[in-house]
Amino acid sequence: MSDPGLPQPELIAAIPRLRRYARVLTGEATRADDLVQETLARAWEKRRLWTVGSDLRAWLFTIMHNVFVNQRASARREAQNVSLDDEDSAIDVPVRATQMVRVELQEMLREVAKLPPEQREVLLLAAVEELRYEEIATVLAIPVGTVMSRLSRARERMRRAAFGPAENVTPFKAVR
Amino acid sequence: MSVSPISDADLHAYADGQLDRARLAEVEAALARDPSLALQVDEIRRQNALLRQATEAWLEEPIPQRLIDAATAKAGGWQRVRPALPYAAAAAMLVVGMSIGWFARDAQLERTGTPTTFARQAALTHVLYATDVNRPVEVWAAEEKRLATWLTRRLGFAVHAPDLNSAGFALVGGRLVAGNEKPTALFMYEDGAKHRLTLQVRKQAEGTRETAFRYAVEDGVGVFYWIDDACGYALSGNFDRAQLLSIARLVYGQLAAAEVTAK
Repeated sequence: MSDPGLPQPELIAAIPRLRRYARVLTGEATRADDLVQETLARAWEKRRLWTVGSDLRAWLFTIMHNVFVNQRASARREAQNVSLDDEDSAIDVPVRATQMVRVELQEMLREVAKLPPEQREVLLLAAVEELRYEEIATVLAIPVGTVMSRLSRARERMRRAAFGPAENVTPFKAVR
Repeated sequence: MSVSPISDADLHAYADGQLDRARLAEVEAALARDPSLALQVDEIRRQNALLRQATEAWLEEPIPQRLIDAATAKAGGWQRVRPALPYAAAAAMLVVGMSIGWFARDAQLERTGTPTTFARQAALTHVLYATDVNRPVEVWAAEEKRLATWLTRRLGFAVHAPDLNSAGFALVGGRLVAGNEKPTALFMYEDGAKHRLTLQVRKQAEGTRETAFRYAVEDGVGVFYWIDDACGYALSGNFDRAQLLSIARLVYGQLAAAEVTAK
């Protein structure tokens, strides 16, 4: 009976957010659910590493990040020539928003899909999952400074994409 | 041009609501001085709001059984669901059951294309955000002016948060939410006991007739709604009818007064 286990209701409650994150990360629904499933299985395997009372969600994101990175690495080994970052992986905006808004949202997700995965992760964790920068650093096992520079690059890319190359966009100066 | 002491990281932290207190005043002063910095903050917030809006509905999709099995370690093999844990299992099933019931109904509505009524939409949105402890709003009351400016821009007509202090409700903040046809502005208020109230405002579809106050109870949430000057208003909260009505009158009065001043 010394097995600590994991709080199942909390685990289940975390699923929608894990799926959302995985969905944007992988750009595809089935692959996203595979990633979530693998993450949950790994969480049970490594349950002894979770400290009771600590943030379960952040810990799950950490596991998901590791699974994601490993999957990408093995996919690269298997198919050297196939790029995982298919530019056209259009992510479907869930039905809900109005027609006009949907176009804007669709565009947004398409741009997110074009970001390098490491920038995509930071952007999602900060903007959508609203994790603190320090938590993101822990989840991704990188220094906070790196979190900030990736976040900054991701947002700058999104901004440029949103306003389009046609307009004369003055680049924001990187203030130090 | 003088070198600004405000760093890029400061701006991101500020826009994300993560800036430490000590630095807050300095950054705010810099924003007030330099509109280009304020513009950057606005842009980050705009992106954040869009990203959340774009992905929000995924949270409400029904959870596939295989993921529930994985979460309850049924497929994991390290243990079967142990009879020693009937409570946890029951609680888990309850959560799942409730969620699935909730999601399924939403999915049903979407499939059949039944337009969700304004009151119903308002109640669902109210529940979604009023129960969120950490992030009930996108922009906090401390930035009320910016909130009004942002929402006005996104909605395409002037909106501001009515002052409900006389009714004992302080503004928490606001956010933009997806409506059925048009984006909706949401203002959240809280009384001394932390009971929350939301006011949602949106432009109605062309040709919508004005209506008097109407009252509905959706999933236990009371909603007063009315349409005035092509705008729909919905006031939602777990309060009794009389209390909601008196607040609705207060809101209505202030909006009418603002309209007169504006003309």
